[in-house]
Amino acid sequence: MDTKYIGEHLLPGQIGHFSAVLAFVAAMVASVSYFMSVQSKEDLLKDSWKKIARWAFIIQAIAVFSTFGSLYYALYNHYFEYKYVWRNSSRDLPVSYLLASFWADQEGSFLLWSIWHSVIGLLLLRVGKKWEAPVMATLSLAQVFLGSMLIGIYILGYRVGSNPFLLLRLAEENQGLPWVANANYLDFIKDGNGLNLSLQNYWMVIHPPVLFLGFASTIIPFAYAFAGLWTREYKEWIKPALPWSLFSAMILGTGIMMGAAWAYESLTFGGYWAWDPVENASLVPWLTLVAGVHTLLAFKFSGHALKSTFFFFFITFVLILYSTFLTRSGVLGDTSVHSFTDLGMSGQLLVLMAVFSIPSFALLIIRRKEIPTVVKEESTYSREFWLFIGALILMISAIQITFTTSIPVWNKIINGLGIKKLFGLEQDIAPPADGALHFNQIQIWIAIVIGLLTAIVQYLKYKDTPKGFFTKKIAIPTIISLVITIIIGIFGDVNYVAYGPGLQYAIYVMLFASVYAVVGNAMYIFIGQKGKLRAAGASVAHVGFGMVLLGILISSAKKEVISIDRMKMLDGGFFGKESKENSRENLMLPKNFPVQMGDYHVTYAGDSVAPGDAKTYYLVRYERRDPANGNILEKFTLHPDAFLSNKGQQQLTPNPDSRHYLTKDIFTYITAVPIKDEASDTAQYKSHEIAPGDSVFFANGYMILEGLQPQPQNRNYAAQPNDLAVGAQLKVFTKNNEQYNLLPVYSLRDNSYEVVVPDTVSPLSLYVKFSKILPKEKKIVLQVKESDTFKDYIVMKAFIFPFINVLWLGILVMVIGFIMSIVQRVKANRSKTIQS
Amino acid sequence: MKKSNIVLLVLIAVAIGVIVTVAGDFSTYETFATARQKEGKEFQVIGKLDTTKTMEYNPVKDANLFRFHVIDKTGETRPVVFYGTKPTDFEKAESVVLTGKMADGEFKCSKILMKCPSKYKNDQVALGKA
Repeated sequence: MDTKYIGEHLLPGQIGHFSAVLAFVAAMVASVSYFMSVQSKEDLLKDSWKKIARWAFIIQAIAVFSTFGSLYYALYNHYFEYKYVWRNSSRDLPVSYLLASFWADQEGSFLLWSIWHSVIGLLLLRVGKKWEAPVMATLSLAQVFLGSMLIGIYILGYRVGSNPFLLLRLAEENQGLPWVANANYLDFIKDGNGLNLSLQNYWMVIHPPVLFLGFASTIIPFAYAFAGLWTREYKEWIKPALPWSLFSAMILGTGIMMGAAWAYESLTFGGYWAWDPVENASLVPWLTLVAGVHTLLAFKFSGHALKSTFFFFFITFVLILYSTFLTRSGVLGDTSVHSFTDLGMSGQLLVLMAVFSIPSFALLIIRRKEIPTVVKEESTYSREFWLFIGALILMISAIQITFTTSIPVWNKIINGLGIKKLFGLEQDIAPPADGALHFNQIQIWIAIVIGLLTAIVQYLKYKDTPKGFFTKKIAIPTIISLVITIIIGIFGDVNYVAYGPGLQYAIYVMLFASVYAVVGNAMYIFIGQKGKLRAAGASVAHVGFGMVLLGILISSAKKEVISIDRMKMLDGGFFGKESKENSRENLMLPKNFPVQMGDYHVTYAGDSVAPGDAKTYYLVRYERRDPANGNILEKFTLHPDAFLSNKGQQQLTPNPDSRHYLTKDIFTYITAVPIKDEASDTAQYKSHEIAPGDSVFFANGYMILEGLQPQPQNRNYAAQPNDLAVGAQLKVFTKNNEQYNLLPVYSLRDNSYEVVVPDTVSPLSLYVKFSKILPKEKKIVLQVKESDTFKDYIVMKAFIFPFINVLWLGILVMVIGFIMSIVQRVKANRSKTIQS
Repeated sequence: MKKSNIVLLVLIAVAIGVIVTVAGDFSTYETFATARQKEGKEFQVIGKLDTTKTMEYNPVKDANLFRFHVIDKTGETRPVVFYGTKPTDFEKAESVVLTGKMADGEFKCSKILMKCPSKYKNDQVALGKA
């Protein structure tokens, strides 16, 4: 029996799904037609195939846009009958985050990728000229596969892709649930599941489009290289491919570093880079792409390194697909904090990888003899030789990162092939316990070599460099860099002894290498290029790269945790054997109670919420005082915030806040807050019998009974004529060297009944009662209670990242350098075409 | 033999060397029993939170101390000390990977990786509350 469902909006879904299928089919037509166009011998046939292919691709592009539009429309209107909408958005989500919802999940991000391919493809239709057909054949084929991820149709019993327009009631996990049969079920689905809280961030709106443009653009160098092999025009393809590969390296690099900036600004990984598998997987293709750009230049000017250029462009795109497989197949589940959930498309992703890697590498091997090479050996004093070395070093870096990142894959292979049984292994391989150290201790040496090469290689000429020329020109930058390095080394107090002298030594060398890269390239603009800025794109980009290395080095080596909890240090923690595991990086701040932290006194001054904003903001006041006279030198307030609940469940999703200085950042985030609605105060009063001069200890310090005071003055106590009152004069010392005075009062009223007036230190939640006088022992009874539950406090972490701005500025400079190079290369290509 | 080929070979050798060296960093997922045999050595243990025992985290007393119990793959339950704050959603974790070492019958860990239930299970729409 068919149920007639009420209130569903089926049209956008139908249009969207139709468009997705149309895009898939049109992409197939386009790729086949482009293929036929390349394979055809006669010009007439070539042209007519090409015409079909063009139209098919244009239709494909329109269909992709229409899919995008339909999904966005459904999101915008909160049509929760669609699972994707239900799963990733909710009514209270601000419109500005709708795009974040759009690409929060697998289907949306594939769609984003597909859109960029379409845009690039449309551009290639205009500028591709004779390379259009072979390049577009590859691109269209990629579109077939990306399109297939979105169709969600069963082919031979295997579900191909996942349809983003799937209705909630048709979703697999909801089958058989009673509400599905309910015609007016939509009346009950008032709101969606909502976007993951850590994705509700403006970076999530802007980072994915840039990163996916980076991913999408890597297919162009790949496609050009493949086209070169395919059409046997082994040399000609590099000219149009060069600006594209520069563009791709720039965008991919920017996308990756935007992710780093997001992690730094809004997430609490404690920094911008955590060597997480997902981060690594996108960094590795960038490394090989950059290697490819450099071998391409080496080839362009010397004729060497053509084969390696093919290799690097091929491997780059294959690694992009591999990274897609890693992040989307669910294989990283155990090792990464932010991969996608498994959609059951691993098979499809593997096929995608095979389809692009096998033909390209096979063709490269088959036709390797046909690829022109220079018989003459390159000189050791030539630029191309060292460019080639640099590319290989980048490759080693890529191999090491990939090797460790792929541990879950090794486990799968080992288990799958039964090797585990063969060697009697019992357990799965686990990633290194200290991941950051594992990568850093290898990659720092690679960074050193790359830094040095970056500094030197520009001073070498292609083919051969006269010896005197090189030494003369490089001398001044070398001396300047050495001087700067020594100055930074001495005055910057760069000492990083946490992992022994080996790494410390490496850090000094890398300091020199990165300074050298900056200085060498900055000076090359004047020494080598006589100040001609137009041609200096490469130098500018390399200056930026040097700054990135420098910024990474200083900010990581000198990163300092200032929120060390020193209170518990003396009771065995800090100097004991546990000090390595227990670094005490979380500091508890009671409300309105200044705590010393590094150079600062920090006070948690309360929290606030704003209407229309689901986050709670915490006011954390920082004050720096002059140690000599106690004058306030500096004062500022940070507002780290957090989502406190998610769909009614207690959960803390914090976002940091930083104080930015030119030379450092103070980075603060909340790690725990009390659960405010917890059951009532359960703390009990504890009795102490003490004499004047005795002290009583409590959790955060101690108090001394200074004496007894007749006719006490206490704001809670109103003296009455017949009172016989005594106050216990107490001085409270906290572990923070704060002092308070307390005066609880004991009084005998009308000689008959006792009146006890407690006194409190509210920031400490300390309650003190003076409950009895013991005349014989000359003592009094003091009752002390420390309440934990009523207390308002935060637990936070704070870091100092020195010179992090060097890193961000370096990225900016690098991007500018890339843009300058691209402009220069495109212009050069144009003028050559006009001449010829 | 060409210079570039020699360089290539040298670098391949370096790469292999690097991989072999760093592979020494790789560990395996172990159980409490192995960790107990080699007290003081760092291990990664996969287990589940023992929900029958209480968890203890009181930032007022110590913001860097969180105690709980974990059952490992062999079914052994051990008290665990984590020097940090209680991770969000800890109760809901399907399994946990603890990095640390055994000492005095307790597993002292410096890192917790939680594996949360896949989003899919939560996807099932329950309409009871509506």
